[in-house]
Amino acid sequence: MLTAVSPQAAAAGLFLGQGLTDARALRPDLVLAEAEPEADARALEALADWCVRFSPAVAPDPPDGLFLDIGGVSHLWGGEAEMAADLAARLARDGLTARIAVADTAGAAWALARSPAAEGRPRILAPGKTEAQPLAPELASLSTAALRLEPVAVERLARLGLRRIGQLAGLPRGPLAKRFGVKVLLRLDQALGRAPEALAFRRPPTPWFSRLDLAEPVSAPEDLARLCRDATLRLCARLEASGRGARRFRLDFHRVDGAPVGLELGLSRPARDPDRIARLFLPRLESLDPGFGIEAVSLQAAETEVLAPGQSDLASLLEPVEGPEALAPLIDRLTARLGPRRVWRSRPLASHVPERSVRRAAALEAQAGPAGSWPAWRPRPLRLLPRPEVLEAVIALTPDEPPRQFRWRGRVHRIRLAEGPERIGAEWWRTGIEAVRTDQVRDYYRVEDQDGARLWVFRSGLHDHDRPVRWWLHGLFG
Amino acid sequence: MSRYAELAAASNFSFLRAASHPEELVATAAALGLDALGVADRNSLAGVVRAWGAGRKAGGSLKVLAGARLVFADGTPDLICYPSDRAAWSRLTRLLTLGKRRAPKGGCDLSLGDFLDHAEGQLAIVLPPAPGEAGRGDFPGHLEALARARRGWIWLGGVRRYGPRDLQDLARLEALGAAAGAPLVAVGEVLYHDARRRALQDVLTCIREGCTIHEAGLRLEANAERRLKPPAEMARLFARFPAAVERSLEIAGRVGFDLSELRYEYPDEPVPAGKTPIQHLRDLTWEGAGWRFEGGLGERERRTLEHELDLIEKLGFPNYFLTVHDIVRWARAQGILCQGRGSAANSVVCFCLGITAVDPTKKDQDLLFSRFISEARGEPPDIDVDFEHERREEVMQYLFRRYGRDRAAIAATVIHFRPRMAIRQVGKALGLTEDVTAALAGTVWGPWSGMSPDPYIRQAGLDPDAPEIRRATALAGELLGFPRHLSQHVGGYVLTRGRLDELVPIGNAAMPDRTFIEWDKDDIDALGLMKVDILALGMLTALRKSFEMIPPRADGTRLTDIAQVPQEVPQVYDMLCRADSVGVFQVESRAQMSMLPRLKPRRFYDLVIEVAIVRPGPIQGDMVHPYLRRRDGTDPVDFPAPSPEHGPPDELHRVLGKTLGVPLFQEQAMRLAIEAARFSENDADGLRRAMATFRNLGSISEHRRRFLEGMTGRGYDPDFAERCFRQIEGFGSYGFPESHAISFALLVYASAWVKWRWPDAFCAALINSQPMGFYLPAQLVRDAREHGVEVRPADVLASDWDCTLEPVSGQRLRALRLGLRQVRGLAQEDVERLVLARARGARALPDFARVVSGRGMELLAEADAFAGLGISRRQALWAVKGLAGADRADRDAPLAAGADLPEPRVDLPLMSAARETAEDYRTLRLSLKAHPCAFLREDLAARGARPAADLKRMRDGRRTAVAGLVLVRQRPGTAKGVVFMTLEDETGTANIVVWKDVFEAHRPAVMRSGLALVEGRVQVAGDILHLVAERITDLSVLAAGLRTDESGEAPKAGGGRLLASRDFH
Repeated sequence: MLTAVSPQAAAAGLFLGQGLTDARALRPDLVLAEAEPEADARALEALADWCVRFSPAVAPDPPDGLFLDIGGVSHLWGGEAEMAADLAARLARDGLTARIAVADTAGAAWALARSPAAEGRPRILAPGKTEAQPLAPELASLSTAALRLEPVAVERLARLGLRRIGQLAGLPRGPLAKRFGVKVLLRLDQALGRAPEALAFRRPPTPWFSRLDLAEPVSAPEDLARLCRDATLRLCARLEASGRGARRFRLDFHRVDGAPVGLELGLSRPARDPDRIARLFLPRLESLDPGFGIEAVSLQAAETEVLAPGQSDLASLLEPVEGPEALAPLIDRLTARLGPRRVWRSRPLASHVPERSVRRAAALEAQAGPAGSWPAWRPRPLRLLPRPEVLEAVIALTPDEPPRQFRWRGRVHRIRLAEGPERIGAEWWRTGIEAVRTDQVRDYYRVEDQDGARLWVFRSGLHDHDRPVRWWLHGLFG
Repeated sequence: MSRYAELAAASNFSFLRAASHPEELVATAAALGLDALGVADRNSLAGVVRAWGAGRKAGGSLKVLAGARLVFADGTPDLICYPSDRAAWSRLTRLLTLGKRRAPKGGCDLSLGDFLDHAEGQLAIVLPPAPGEAGRGDFPGHLEALARARRGWIWLGGVRRYGPRDLQDLARLEALGAAAGAPLVAVGEVLYHDARRRALQDVLTCIREGCTIHEAGLRLEANAERRLKPPAEMARLFARFPAAVERSLEIAGRVGFDLSELRYEYPDEPVPAGKTPIQHLRDLTWEGAGWRFEGGLGERERRTLEHELDLIEKLGFPNYFLTVHDIVRWARAQGILCQGRGSAANSVVCFCLGITAVDPTKKDQDLLFSRFISEARGEPPDIDVDFEHERREEVMQYLFRRYGRDRAAIAATVIHFRPRMAIRQVGKALGLTEDVTAALAGTVWGPWSGMSPDPYIRQAGLDPDAPEIRRATALAGELLGFPRHLSQHVGGYVLTRGRLDELVPIGNAAMPDRTFIEWDKDDIDALGLMKVDILALGMLTALRKSFEMIPPRADGTRLTDIAQVPQEVPQVYDMLCRADSVGVFQVESRAQMSMLPRLKPRRFYDLVIEVAIVRPGPIQGDMVHPYLRRRDGTDPVDFPAPSPEHGPPDELHRVLGKTLGVPLFQEQAMRLAIEAARFSENDADGLRRAMATFRNLGSISEHRRRFLEGMTGRGYDPDFAERCFRQIEGFGSYGFPESHAISFALLVYASAWVKWRWPDAFCAALINSQPMGFYLPAQLVRDAREHGVEVRPADVLASDWDCTLEPVSGQRLRALRLGLRQVRGLAQEDVERLVLARARGARALPDFARVVSGRGMELLAEADAFAGLGISRRQALWAVKGLAGADRADRDAPLAAGADLPEPRVDLPLMSAARETAEDYRTLRLSLKAHPCAFLREDLAARGARPAADLKRMRDGRRTAVAGLVLVRQRPGTAKGVVFMTLEDETGTANIVVWKDVFEAHRPAVMRSGLALVEGRVQVAGDILHLVAERITDLSVLAAGLRTDESGEAPKAGGGRLLASRDFH
């Protein structure tokens, strides 16, 4: 279904709610993008936050509207019209098309903003006109859909020929409510100021943030370390108070010359232990350039999660901690030393092809998922070479007997014991369908050589008299 | 020389698991030189008949064994089971029936106990779980228990899968089997005949698991080893276990059962005590002959009848005829119209028994009994009977009552993967997005029919050469024709004397209280079982209903049977020659309507030709124009002849005599193969069968070669031979023999007569029998009005559920009162209560509201059915909603409490006339007030559209345009991509031809528009007039505009169509 159309698409006869198949049949060259309602909602919230510069009271009206309560602030712009014009201009500068209307009630403003006349320039309904009797023509001529009614109700009213707000307002209230429910009346009353409406205004969330200002700039490493610890203590105390921990921390030193220098810290598990966090920052402070001195430091926490209250008393030091909890500090330190890409865990992945059956996972990733274990019936080497290495001078009986002898990395291996073949076909869906052949297989053998080394070798392709087959070493057992 | 029998092969009747047709498995097994092939599908015997048939066709030494892979619900390991004799076969079918009847459709619920109860005579191979497969309980324990219970009848299957530890696994199994007493036997657990099917098998796995190929992981097979392998290869793979390979031969040798043993016995119920079936049949036949041949039988008829009866006796079919006679007799007694169709109309016995309505001895018809039953063909007869479509269910229930559920069941229909479904599911399995698969599926309009889909794919905005698309289309193409699941046949019954479940497994259908067997018509044919087709025909319903509405004749009698319709009335033929045939059986389609004025039928046999000529066979064979030219006298009538040295020049006179030397009927084409191409009767039959199944492409080209060489070699014109073969191809899946055409022509004449004599009753009966036929009630009503029938609106004061006829003083024809069935969405129960209340005196809106549901009242109001009370649509709806509020308490309305107070009068906006018409269409699917186009005329004229009626006055080649509602869209498979559209405006209908290139250029408008503007050139050929489209514009938005009171409102989704067209692909 189409959830949004561009002006060009609308001109081509496409409309909201149209089935995709219909739309495509009309315009096979239609360019489609998947709707992302969550992203839209986030964008709307961001826009709501941005609008705070116009009024402290902003309420998002999903999917595509915002209510601004401008009572008592419009005079700052010199009036409602000027304010609306400024808002429109600023939005336009950011590339947003907007329809803006000002009225005494949220309902009337909503309706006006969606009327065709709101296209292009803001509509202002003078104060008092909303509640005027008889109904102001600006409102009376609007469609019943502008009352924020359910589409079904609009459709039902239309059956009776009732399409305009004016027609609806002229009907006796009792019979109308009896036939269409009080919701219709409520919406009508809200628009016309006869019933109150509560809007859910949005207050921006307090960020996890702590900041220390210094009287005198500092630049000695010990001072930086102390600042780091102080900032951490403050923020962690707040995290502790609200029962949360964070996975990411950003420490910014604001230099006298205005350029911030920052450090990022990522944790494998959420934490709020100030000592630990500070300790992870410390070794990296040395690499900072304090320039002409640091005059402020700020610490920000992100990716906060609820964290069970930890034991911060002495007893916890005596009890051995097990499981991932125990590993976490070690892994964090290894990661801080070696870099985040160098510490990982191997996870099985459901694939027959050996090099695809392993994936790298975060070191402490929870042991979940269906592919949680390595199938025991399929022996796989402890060490799989990132790239198979070619074997030379292979002696093996056709068509699919294990090799007797081969040379690898310059050394001859005489095979004493062998097992196989395990035949693994190529993943045909990765090549063109015309290129798929039935002899695209690998025959794997587990072999043991004269020295007891256990190797995993394979022959690629089926034996063929016309061309020599190639042998490879793919892994080492134990 | 190694020998091996593959005992564990699954065909694609193991749905979504195995990837080869049974025929492919058999052919490959024969080619590889296997001793035997055992086809064992998952809890099913659905594929074994095909395999068995393929085995017989292949000849050679391959033995095809019929068995099943039993999959248990209680943790028992899978068993491959082969009945060793006929009694064991019955036990197996009963076992499967038991499991299937317990489970919902498609399932089978079996336990070890069930197997042991039916285990006598079953040779069983226990299949160990594959390595890595979730073990189902204690395998050694199960094995031992089975082996103990069935000592000497149980083996343990060993498979070389090319897994990591095959040989250890096998050694362990051998030891396990030896300890338990179940010796190891080598099996392949075959899923396909050829390694190249691996990709398709992987895709099937994904469809089954509902995942994409990228997510499927270890659910896929690691390699392509689950294929049929030659004996030498098996010997090598099992080199350490030679006894296991030999045992496969031993087991195959112990199967002493062959499907040909399923000797079939007809039920013997309808025979009275003390009579033999043939005596009874003779008595009934002669009795019927007295009724059918009122003037007494001539010598010729008597001889024919005796000949037929003798042959029926000789071949042992009397019971079959008695059974069908019994069904037909019962239906007649219930007043259900019925009539046999197909080749049974070649039989005088069937005519006398009242099964068919065609007298084969009639002079010019020349129907031959041998086309129905022939000793040489050795097939059982096949009688298809049509019943009224609304009452067929009664006949089916009678059959179940008469024969019991254990002796009567419906045959299966194999539901195959069709192009759309194949591309959709393959696309999904390959991980294409919903959008792409939908677009791909959308490129399919009807069958692909060998055409390259690439241009359509490109048009859908996709690149057909992209690897993802190519992969999807290639695999979908391979999947085409695969069985997807079994469903019940529309009306094919199998009846037996003994228990049916001892012949074939019976399972539950999706409908409650329905069961069907696992075999379809082809299987039943192959085994020579008896079947009766209980088919449904809408026209029979309509005819019975119109007979009931036709006033009694002068002598007070009523028309009750088709045979009583006055014959050969010239005015009926006049009407047909004018192509005035809306609603008439068979000849109401566009193609038939344009044929009527060319063929100019003047007698019954002309109708037979009319019915047969507009068919894929004659059209593809390019036989239509030669026939018409000869009929018109433009071309001389001559007969194709061989060179003198090859035979007499008149060898085809007898075959083609009555169709002026042009083959039109299926049997003529088959006779040509025999007479002119020198096919044997058997070969000709093989040719017909090869055409009917699209699987066997190889054999068709072989037939083709023989046919063409046969004819040209004997001196026939190569072009004629080529056309004859194309015609045979055209008959393909839908052959139209003469006997069938005659049966249908009877209904053509009968319905044409009713339309001519009583258009009022005809129209009412057709509407009351909807859905059926080619036209919607709107066109039927329009046609009736054009024939002088007054049509009155649906009204609560006058209408019943069905349309009724109201007398008009001084008029022969009565007025048609539309029934409330026309009100979209209205429930029949509501109308029944309304009619009852009206009979008790209800006259006002609140009276009706007391008995009719709130929703029903709203629908009636919106359909303007209260107009008779002087209440407009909107006022009625307002009032009805008010009443509904009072009665059914709109709970969130506190004001509802005061409902009894008199309400102030409310003035609702008046509806424009255009809106009234649009609302009529929305609620009634037709309007008696006006045609929507009338309101748009100015607008349409501004776009250059002329009224459809003006077309008739235009010269050939003139450029013009028309606009109207799209009534019908048709794209016949035979017409090379041409689309036929029928438009309707306020002045009449216009027939549009859209050639392929224009269609491609205007595809969306052709396929989607509800209101279309067509610009093009008038084409006149004789009395037939088309507009050949050059440009098509979708004006649906205009039609939607009628629904709004004011302009400027945006159309809503789906608002473009006032009327859903009938689309035929």
